[in-house]
Amino acid sequence: MNDYALVLEGISKAFAGHVAVKELSLRVPRNSIFGLLGPNGAGKTTTLRMVMDILGPDAGTIEILGAPADHAARDRIGYMPEERGLYPRMVLEEQLVFMAAIKGVPQAEATKRLQPWLERLSLADWRRRKTNELSKGMQQKAQFIATVLHEPDVLIVDEPMSGLDPVGTDVMREALIDMRRAGTTIVLSSHQMETVERLCDRVALIDGGVKVLDGAVSEVKARHGKNTVALAFEGDGSFIEGLPGVARVTDHGQYFEVRLEDGADPQPLLKAASERLRLRRFEIVEPSLHDIFVETVTRHREEAA
Amino acid sequence: MSAKLWAIVKREYLERVRTKAFVIGTILGPVLMSGMMLVPMLAARAKGKPLRVAVVDATGQLGAEVERALADVRDGERPRFEIRRGGGDASEGALKAFNQEINEQALDGYLLLPRDVLEAGSMTYYGRNVSNFADLEKLRSAVGHVIVSRRLASAGLDPTKVGALTRDTELRRYRVSASGEREDQGATFVLALILLMILYVSILMWGQMVMTSVIEEKTSRVVEVMASGVPSTTLLLGKLIGVGAAGLTQFLVWAFSLFGMSLAAGGALVIGNFVMPEITPLLLASFVTFFLLGYFFYSSLYAAIGAAVNTVQEAQGLVFPVVLPLILAMVCWPAVMQSPDGPLAVTVSMIPGMSPLVMFLRIVVLTPPAWQMLLSIALLVAAILFVIWFAARVYRVGILMYGKRPTFPEIVRWVRHS
Repeated sequence: MNDYALVLEGISKAFAGHVAVKELSLRVPRNSIFGLLGPNGAGKTTTLRMVMDILGPDAGTIEILGAPADHAARDRIGYMPEERGLYPRMVLEEQLVFMAAIKGVPQAEATKRLQPWLERLSLADWRRRKTNELSKGMQQKAQFIATVLHEPDVLIVDEPMSGLDPVGTDVMREALIDMRRAGTTIVLSSHQMETVERLCDRVALIDGGVKVLDGAVSEVKARHGKNTVALAFEGDGSFIEGLPGVARVTDHGQYFEVRLEDGADPQPLLKAASERLRLRRFEIVEPSLHDIFVETVTRHREEAA
Repeated sequence: MSAKLWAIVKREYLERVRTKAFVIGTILGPVLMSGMMLVPMLAARAKGKPLRVAVVDATGQLGAEVERALADVRDGERPRFEIRRGGGDASEGALKAFNQEINEQALDGYLLLPRDVLEAGSMTYYGRNVSNFADLEKLRSAVGHVIVSRRLASAGLDPTKVGALTRDTELRRYRVSASGEREDQGATFVLALILLMILYVSILMWGQMVMTSVIEEKTSRVVEVMASGVPSTTLLLGKLIGVGAAGLTQFLVWAFSLFGMSLAAGGALVIGNFVMPEITPLLLASFVTFFLLGYFFYSSLYAAIGAAVNTVQEAQGLVFPVVLPLILAMVCWPAVMQSPDGPLAVTVSMIPGMSPLVMFLRIVVLTPPAWQMLLSIALLVAAILFVIWFAARVYRVGILMYGKRPTFPEIVRWVRHS
């Protein structure tokens, strides 16, 4: 028994002609929420599929809850793939009980556990309906119940919030936090950086099948320095990008996130901005995960090229 | 592991059995079968009104006798023909008058006996309907009898005596098997064909069902969730067993209702004019066995195809070469029936893709040596294990492949690398 829920050691996977994952190593600590990030086609889904033995790795080893990955260990994982899927003509209740059964939960037990989940995700009135009669958002929630009904120790969710309204998003986030509190380890793969930022303890960023960033969220942010300024104003701020000492500007709509060059002093920026714009906010902030993501991926690609 | 397999079997079974198509097919099967028995009986009973036929006798000497002979032709209780004297005038004008009567529906037809009918033996029938072969054959035979009698009499022979001397011979066939001997009027032949047809259609139909369901799992993307829960072999086996059990259920319902009907009919089951031969336990057992074995062989291949493609349309090109052996086996039936112990029949009944049909046919026609049956089944089982192994590998790779349909060499590469 070690402290990690998942340990991936040097796993690689190549498909006809191209390398999807290359000598990737990841350690997911127990009872954490772990963000797995990466641009489209980075190899996230392939990695998760190897964890679930849907694909076999060409090289490397996978440990689940301190033991070499086998079928019994995988029954302790709940996996919600990016490509959702339920049997369209099956009655919701039977569907969910069935999904628990293939994870080894007896029918009676699964039926008992089902009711609280249906109530929590407002699906109780739909339990006798066929899956293809449910809306997209409801199917999404149903899929989540299918993933957690066997009370997994490790939960792997790919874009859990996509397609949900704000209420649904909150319910889902609370469900994740509660499960974590109850001792579940959660691996979250998402492009919604704000969700990741709010939920995750640790993140790993992969690009082109290799890991380019890994660590606790606070640590990663600290590593990217205190030289980011959030700037809200009235007027045309397009000149800011050309100012000396400014490395990069991200327009978030309501405010600019201005990244200064290493060691640059924010005072000249404040001066220039206050002369030409009506400032509403000027704040030294930690860089957003979004910015770190974009910056890291851009740098990695430049180095690779 | 086995609990998971059981859950999948149960799901697949219930999904099939609950469909309308299944319920209708299961009920309709026996209805169709009883229809096949009842309709000919009812049809035979209700032939309709007798045919109104006029006899035009140009010879001027056969008329009365022909009329009597035709009036004697009976259909059950009732006379088949309503005969009218048509006179001896075969001129164009007279015939025209008859034609008009036919068109006015006052007459169904008329028989023209030309002047030289005794020598040439050729006569003509004009009628509104000339496709009623059975009736016209009765008519020909009755009139022919009169003509032959006349010829015999004019040659100085006694028609009754000649008739007795030239009576046709008959051959009665008894089928000898382990359960004794039994008269057979061609019923084994019909039974063999019907069962063979059912076997052929069911193997293809349930195999197709497996393929469609694999494609649906791909389309609905549920397959990735399933693959993350159970190994692909378990997934495949569960599907094959569940769908096969649904097929077996349908057969059992049919078999029981057939059995019930045969009890109701007093033991002898009648299809058309045939009395059904005895359905032996060996026959029943081999039907179920070869259905299941044939089903597992072909449906595994169907599952592999389903996993490799994205739509049913795409699958068609791959299906044909796969089911070709079954089609060839079907084509072989006349040769197998002709000499069920001949080299062709014995060889083909050992080839796995063909044996479900051919060995079954041999068993229906005559009981082959036990070693041949066992060898055929053993080879088939070995082939099924190989095919399931092959299909499970295609399945594992294929279910995650979307986009272009793979070629056959690509599929072989999947199997080698997975």
